[in-house]
Amino acid sequence: MLKIESLEAEIDGKKILNGLNLEVKAGEIHAIMGPNGSGKSTLASVLAGREEYEVTGGSVDFDGKDLLDLAPEERAGEGVFLAFQYPVEIPGVSNINFIKTAVNEVREYRGLPNLETKEFMSLLKEKQKLVELSGKLANRSVNEGFSGGEKKRNEIFQMAMLNPKLGVLDETDSGLDIDALRIVASGVNELKSKENAFVVITHYQRLLDYIVPDFVHVLYDGRIVKTGTKELALELEERGYDWIIKEIKEKTL
Amino acid sequence: MATLTITDKERFLINQEGQDFSHEAKTFIKIRELALKNLKDIDFPTNKMEDWKYTNLKDVGKTEFRPQSATNIIKEKVESYKIKNVDAYVLVFVNGFFESDFSNVVEDKDGDFIITNLNNAKKKFIKLVEPHLGFQTRAKNQFFVNLNSAFSQDGAFVYVKSKAQLDKPVHVINLVDGDLVAAYPRNLIVAEKFSEAQIVVTYETIESSSALSNVINEVFVAEGAHVSLDKIQNENLNTFHVGADFAVQGKDSVFSINTIPVRAKLIRNNLSIVLDGPNSEANLNGAICLNGNIHVDNQTFVDHAKPNCQSNELYKTVVNDKSTAIFNGKIYVNKIAQKTNAFQSNANILLSADAKVNSKPQLEIYADDVKCSHGCTIGQFDDEALFYLRARGIKESTAQKVLLDAFIGEVLNKIKNVAVREYADKLITENFNSKA
Repeated sequence: MLKIESLEAEIDGKKILNGLNLEVKAGEIHAIMGPNGSGKSTLASVLAGREEYEVTGGSVDFDGKDLLDLAPEERAGEGVFLAFQYPVEIPGVSNINFIKTAVNEVREYRGLPNLETKEFMSLLKEKQKLVELSGKLANRSVNEGFSGGEKKRNEIFQMAMLNPKLGVLDETDSGLDIDALRIVASGVNELKSKENAFVVITHYQRLLDYIVPDFVHVLYDGRIVKTGTKELALELEERGYDWIIKEIKEKTL
Repeated sequence: MATLTITDKERFLINQEGQDFSHEAKTFIKIRELALKNLKDIDFPTNKMEDWKYTNLKDVGKTEFRPQSATNIIKEKVESYKIKNVDAYVLVFVNGFFESDFSNVVEDKDGDFIITNLNNAKKKFIKLVEPHLGFQTRAKNQFFVNLNSAFSQDGAFVYVKSKAQLDKPVHVINLVDGDLVAAYPRNLIVAEKFSEAQIVVTYETIESSSALSNVINEVFVAEGAHVSLDKIQNENLNTFHVGADFAVQGKDSVFSINTIPVRAKLIRNNLSIVLDGPNSEANLNGAICLNGNIHVDNQTFVDHAKPNCQSNELYKTVVNDKSTAIFNGKIYVNKIAQKTNAFQSNANILLSADAKVNSKPQLEIYADDVKCSHGCTIGQFDDEALFYLRARGIKESTAQKVLLDAFIGEVLNKIKNVAVREYADKLITENFNSKA
């Protein structure tokens, strides 16, 4: 589904991604871990099409399409969804109008007719329930005045509404208490199917108790330097990253 | 023999003469005479004057505008300027003259309120008009205020008795029809103690190759009264619109004015509010979305004359193409006006390199126990918000529209009457999407 090859990207002339390779197949969950500044959020931003990042090398293939060639809205239309690390507050735009516009624009991209209000409302209710998001938040401005947990649940809610092929979760677990974490994770688990895939970027092994990954990758210095299974995450929790960094340095010497 | 020279100003003023006001009561003729005298002493505004630095009216002084009544006004045409889904008392003025055939006059002396044209009120309700008309417009130095005071043809008169409530809004429709028209509509709104009134004033053009609309709204908000005024300016691109709004407020009163300048060649608004009773509240909002070459200049003045008053001011602007917006907002806090709360915010978004915004917030505070703030921002759309919307599959053009609606929506939402709000929104969208 997603094939990243030798991806290089920079921001303000500073190189962040340094020849990154990653392949994600339908039905898989990949966790990406790594120390601060290793390029985790950059990877998420580049996949979603954030313009501040300049791709200087490599390729990203998404179901046969050159993802890097597409505008952010086209990537969403193709089925890429980024759950933001810091969801943006948009005063004056109601959550419900926002998601309705998004759902219909994505449907239009996919050549589907707009949802009837009745269908939309029942989908909305179903997905709100999934992440235990209060109906009251629907009429509030997007993310404005939401608690940290509400913002992250709102991200998963949007993901559920748009039903992407690939969900990229950028530190969705950061700052969440256990209840919120459990809700977010069970939302993802409910959405998981044989047809879709998830890339879960996280600092903490804790999330992976709830969302069980098929692969755990360690990102360091803009590249994936180690790949393992969920046990690797536990080891990282216990031992930190220094031993991996040491391993790499020894290799390069 | 001395050469006879005549200045632009003199010629302009001569062109305005010729209306016969001799039938008016002396007290009202005096107002006109005083204004004429003032006009002799004041220069026609030029860019050299601080208040007119960014707005040039030289062309107005050089154009042969004259008061003139319109002929053949078609009912269907007038009907089209009514706001859909608003059940209102409608008063229609064309070129400043009253059109009784299209208007709903309410003048039952024992009723709760009077809604009629000012010329009629000057005869029938002289005791209600006299203490108010011209009371707030005596300033000697304002050319266009005096111009209206001297030559005003007619206008709306709305009077609400003490403790009474207008059961529906009053919609004053001001139309211009004809070439080189000088229209001087002037509305007088008097809300007695603890009364309530909602007024909507719209300015539009039937057809004109060149026009001057010089308008005044004079509002009296007595103790405990609540008055709202929605002002929508949507004339054609050949029109110079110079308006002034005045309100004086008594104790515990609330006055809200929403100014929506949509279209004209040039719009200048002078808004002046005096919080003249303790614990009174003024809300002044403006939504300005401009494109083409439209030039809009909003000058606001809030005078906190008494303690414990509150003013909330929010003006938001979006300028595109080569349009220009000016905001000059002054808040004056008198020495005795302790515990004043005065908030002013002017936010501007520039969508093109040739669009211009000049913003000048001013605070003048002489009391020492007050809470005052003003903020002015000039920027573009929030890139983060734009990316967030696009990342959810929303096209860039749609995303911009969503953000524009949200930005201006904060102001439009202050218009309480939903149908009026939708009307303003529709005009803004139509104008903004048109290639001016």
